[in-house]
Amino acid sequence: MKRFLSVYAAGIYAFLYLPLFVLAVFSFNSSKFAVWRGFTWHWYLDCFHSQALIEATAHSLIIAICATVFSTVIGTLAGYSLWKRRLPWLTNSLYLTLLTPEIVTGISLLAFFQWIFRFLHWHLGLHTVILAHISFSLAYVVIVILARLRTFDPALEEAALDLGANEWQVFRYVTVPNLLPGIAAAALLCFTVSFDDYVITSLVAGVDSETLPMVIYAMARKGVNPMVNALSAMITFGLGALILLAGRFQKEESA
Amino acid sequence: MNRRTFLLGIGGASAGCMRGPSRRLNIYNWSDYVAHDTIPNFEREFGVRVRYATYESTEEMLAKALTGNSGWDVVFPSNSYVGPMREMDLLAQLDHRQLPNLVNLDVRFQTPPWDRQIQWSVPYMHGSTGIVYSTKAPRPVGWADLWEDKYQRRLTMLDDPAEVLGACLKRRRDSVNSTDPGQLEAAKQLAIEQKPLLRAYINAEVRDQLIAGDVLAAQSWSVTAQQAIEQSDRLAFVYPEEGFPLYCDTAAILRESRRVDLAHQFLNYLLRPHIAAAIALEMRTATVNAAARALLPEKDRNNATLYPGPEILQRGEWFRAMPPAAQRLRDRLWTEIKSA
Amino acid sequence: MRRLRITFLTPAALVTLALFAIPMGIVVAYSLLSRGAYGGVVLPWTLDNYSRVFDPLYGQIVWRSLWIAAVSTLLCLVLGFPIALYIARAQRRRALLLNLVMLPFWTSFLIRTYAWMFLLRDTGLVNSALESLHLIRNPLPLLFNDGAVILGLVYGYLPFMVLPLYATLEKLDPALIDAAQDLGATPWVTLWKIVVPLSRSGMLAGGLLVFIPCLGAYLTPDLLGGGKSVMVGNLVQNQFTTARDWPFGSAVSLLLMAAVLLLVLRILGRREQTLL
Repeated sequence: MKRFLSVYAAGIYAFLYLPLFVLAVFSFNSSKFAVWRGFTWHWYLDCFHSQALIEATAHSLIIAICATVFSTVIGTLAGYSLWKRRLPWLTNSLYLTLLTPEIVTGISLLAFFQWIFRFLHWHLGLHTVILAHISFSLAYVVIVILARLRTFDPALEEAALDLGANEWQVFRYVTVPNLLPGIAAAALLCFTVSFDDYVITSLVAGVDSETLPMVIYAMARKGVNPMVNALSAMITFGLGALILLAGRFQKEESA
Repeated sequence: MNRRTFLLGIGGASAGCMRGPSRRLNIYNWSDYVAHDTIPNFEREFGVRVRYATYESTEEMLAKALTGNSGWDVVFPSNSYVGPMREMDLLAQLDHRQLPNLVNLDVRFQTPPWDRQIQWSVPYMHGSTGIVYSTKAPRPVGWADLWEDKYQRRLTMLDDPAEVLGACLKRRRDSVNSTDPGQLEAAKQLAIEQKPLLRAYINAEVRDQLIAGDVLAAQSWSVTAQQAIEQSDRLAFVYPEEGFPLYCDTAAILRESRRVDLAHQFLNYLLRPHIAAAIALEMRTATVNAAARALLPEKDRNNATLYPGPEILQRGEWFRAMPPAAQRLRDRLWTEIKSA
Repeated sequence: MRRLRITFLTPAALVTLALFAIPMGIVVAYSLLSRGAYGGVVLPWTLDNYSRVFDPLYGQIVWRSLWIAAVSTLLCLVLGFPIALYIARAQRRRALLLNLVMLPFWTSFLIRTYAWMFLLRDTGLVNSALESLHLIRNPLPLLFNDGAVILGLVYGYLPFMVLPLYATLEKLDPALIDAAQDLGATPWVTLWKIVVPLSRSGMLAGGLLVFIPCLGAYLTPDLLGGGKSVMVGNLVQNQFTTARDWPFGSAVSLLLMAAVLLLVLRILGRREQTLL
């Protein structure tokens, strides 16, 4: 059984990484097409020379980081409260944000911003994108935190209360440290959905806020472009390295 | 990520929304529609900072323009959208005194049917729809050839209701802008008949498949076809004999813009022969600028795909905006075609 | 406690109100208005959009979407269960294995879909490999059909199935498995009679997290399916783009959302638990 599972797992991982592997291999192809012409780094260099790409990446990172920070904080606090006492209207609304087709979310937010801009004299921009991302990523955070809290023993909190701590201290010194893996997982999930979002972002983005998915979408639609391959290879390996590092760090902590 | 980057990011974001009408211009265009030095040269010569972004579909641009404060100054609607945008009061009227280079336009575009006095939009690049095919396959002469099983199912059509219905209507020798329910219904039937012969409904992405040889014939825009032909020695383009649609992308100024004069200067800049020629050459598009076309090298100037001769152009028909009832009918028919 | 709870809830409540409830209210309003001539909405108020939905054409589209989403979810379950089991039983590096499952998700969905088009084309890698191994003479039609769409959906949403399954399987008490084996059960019997029933909540959560996005998918059927068939996601997408019929698109989405929400609540309510 164990042998079977190992072989099977290897197969699934191969399946998951096959397209990425192919993309990476062809990012080194000196020809634009499927025929192998020779090894080259120049698509990677092109990426670093493309002003639009660099700016878009910067925008994507700023948006994802801001949205993640706000969403994680707001979502953790909300998840904790919902764990203490249910609030069906809030939970159902959060489910609904997950159910809404992206284009409907995008158009509705665009219409909403259009309406309040009459009073605020703003334009669409990075800030509207960040707000939009917070709105659709909040549900993910709450779900993950609630899941984690289900394995959390309330007795720990009660013990702390008995020992004289007030509720805020209990939350801060007892619950949160226990929740940290859950918070980290939620933040990771949040960052992922924000970084990769195209539809909603393109609708609420303004003049100064092109993001990476928007640039990639435009490039990829024109056909095979090894710069796109190089980009995705860099993202995959970069994030992979980050995860490996984080894993090593975590292991040291728990050791 | 440290606090400084975070604060810088927030600062940048808020600064972005509070910048006033200084020497800045925001341009929203289709992707791959300017040469690499068009914008930098403009910035340098006029001492302006340009914010240039691209969109993939007119609806994306329209949705933002409809809000009335999208922040964009110059946009590039297709000719069939100029009328509707005017009706929705989205465009600023053009001042010809600031556009002396309008004389460079080709005769065909000096009094365009959608905007006779060029009051609202300046023609920019034009194109049409036809059939691109592999020279190893039987040569198609008209739309009717796409209904015969000559291509072993290696045939694609554009994923665009106006184009597919347009081809079907043309096959029946009707107008591409037909609003007659009977004609449209018949066109729909034709499309459904054709579906089993199709590999896919696909737009510009078909270029790779044509070059690789997966697809033998495709309904395609002339510009896309030209780009494919240049990358392969086995492709050719034909303008169908029954007729075909024409389109023209235009440059327009949004009424919400607070930099109308600067926008005019940009439009005038685009009309300069050297600038327009550089764009047409680098992006392989067809310019509406006669003076620019004269500057192109011979093989580009007389490229049959991009600049068809007058006998061919006679068969062409400009796309027009649809009245709401007809649009509704076409949408429904498209859904029916796709679900069949 | 109450004051703390209220303080904690306020930001989330504000966000939900301002960035979800009000925009949704706008969508509801849109669904009751009429289509603007070239996009947007205009008066008069009307229920037409809702009555239009009850047309056999759209019923066919919904049915098709349900079928494809169901098949994809089932495949995700069948393919995802063993790997979730493997990770849950791994002695070490569980977090790493789990993150490796999530990692492809970090690359743009669009790029991965284009990669699959590249692989599945007639002249793509899969066909070329099979031909060079002389297993086939003519290229197999792997792209631009329902099979390709399901492949794309399964590929894209497998991590969403693996994660909740793993979460449930990890908490499984090993003593139960030991007990079963002590009583003479073979590994297969243990799997079917003990492990699978106990992981039902994980399967349910994973099932919902996969089924719902699959229903609303539009990019995958468009690209991998060759745009030849319409799923609900395509229908909605089309209304807000080419068709420019925002009221109808809003009505379809709202009905879809309401239906799925009812389904979710009914399934979860019966088991008295929240998602995960």
